[in-house]
Amino acid sequence: MNEPSSDFHNETGFDSSLQEQSTKLSLSPKGHIGRKGLERLDLLLVVIEALDLNSSDAMLWTAKQIGFEETFPNSVSLWKVRSHNPLRKAHRRGNLSSMDIDALIHLVCSLSKRLYPLLHQLLSSKEPSELSRERWLKFDERFKDLIKERMNTRRVAIQNILTSNESMTFNRNLVLTLALSSGLGGFDRLRASLLDPSN
Amino acid sequence: MIKQKFIYNHNLASLEIEGLPDFSNGQTEGIIGILSSWKLTLIGSTELEGKKEHLQALITQVLPYARKQISGISTRKVNNLLPVNISNYGDKHLMSLSSSREGVQPLDLYLDDAELSDLVFCLDEIRHDSRILIDWDIPLDKPMTKGELVRNSSILERTMPFFTGAIALIVTSGLLVILPMPTNIEGIVPKQDFSSNN
Repeated sequence: MNEPSSDFHNETGFDSSLQEQSTKLSLSPKGHIGRKGLERLDLLLVVIEALDLNSSDAMLWTAKQIGFEETFPNSVSLWKVRSHNPLRKAHRRGNLSSMDIDALIHLVCSLSKRLYPLLHQLLSSKEPSELSRERWLKFDERFKDLIKERMNTRRVAIQNILTSNESMTFNRNLVLTLALSSGLGGFDRLRASLLDPSN
Repeated sequence: MIKQKFIYNHNLASLEIEGLPDFSNGQTEGIIGILSSWKLTLIGSTELEGKKEHLQALITQVLPYARKQISGISTRKVNNLLPVNISNYGDKHLMSLSSSREGVQPLDLYLDDAELSDLVFCLDEIRHDSRILIDWDIPLDKPMTKGELVRNSSILERTMPFFTGAIALIVTSGLLVILPMPTNIEGIVPKQDFSSNN
């Protein structure tokens, strides 16, 4: 009887499947992600940065692991792609290629898989409520600091994230999005949601 | 032994699958082509088991539901005939399971976001496992239609553009009615009626 261990989909297995998927999907330039989709994608990366203090190194390392070393050889190239988010202070004009977008989505999915234990802690209702509240406050504080540092705070969307009563719900949705994007089907789910007509 | 057993664990969720290769389709040992049983354990919750149809219903309901959650679309329970139903219930996810056995009451499970993502992770692994050659018939992840997104919005959000437009039209028309019409505009010579000269 064949009974594989729980981690039979180890890092290598997961990464090779991502590369296959990437080659398949990046060659099909069918989808164009709109302005809101780009905003959302960049905000997901900001959430990752808020959760992980070493995320800038982790992003480059992960990009290399999943085969996007040529797309993101250094942090400047990654920043250039992320700067297409219209909410940023230093916003770059022009459209991103479908390959760049796919690479960013893969990066978000791989990083969320890496950070899954943290995402799980934040989302679980079985954690002690006091501890959970503290975690959320810490996350919220760091997320808002990063938003103030990088985004154009005169934009209404950013002001809503920083001051609105619903900002906690918004942050929770971003964390849930990351958690649901961490599995093997996460790429397709996240990509499809970024292609929604509302984006 | 020909019978295969695969286990998928992710935090609170554990899914066990048992089956055999479908030799009539040329499948070899180490493959599951015919599913004989499955067992899902959610720690702190309950243990579920059933036939292939039940697992298929679980996969075809839960994965599209997760896709909708990413788009922020809330789902209400609609079809009581399905063996598995999943819908939003406050800040939780209500998964209703109906047994095919007579006299067994439906089971309602309230999953939090973390449990849902664990379950989705396990189901994703089954769906993408190259050793399981079963057609689950899962719809592809596609962008939502405008209709689906509109249905999810509140009545206020849906009617706001109409009322804003209507109010703007009424106010503009009212202002134009109030404004007096010019009686004599300098520099404009009235047209001559040439037909009266003849």
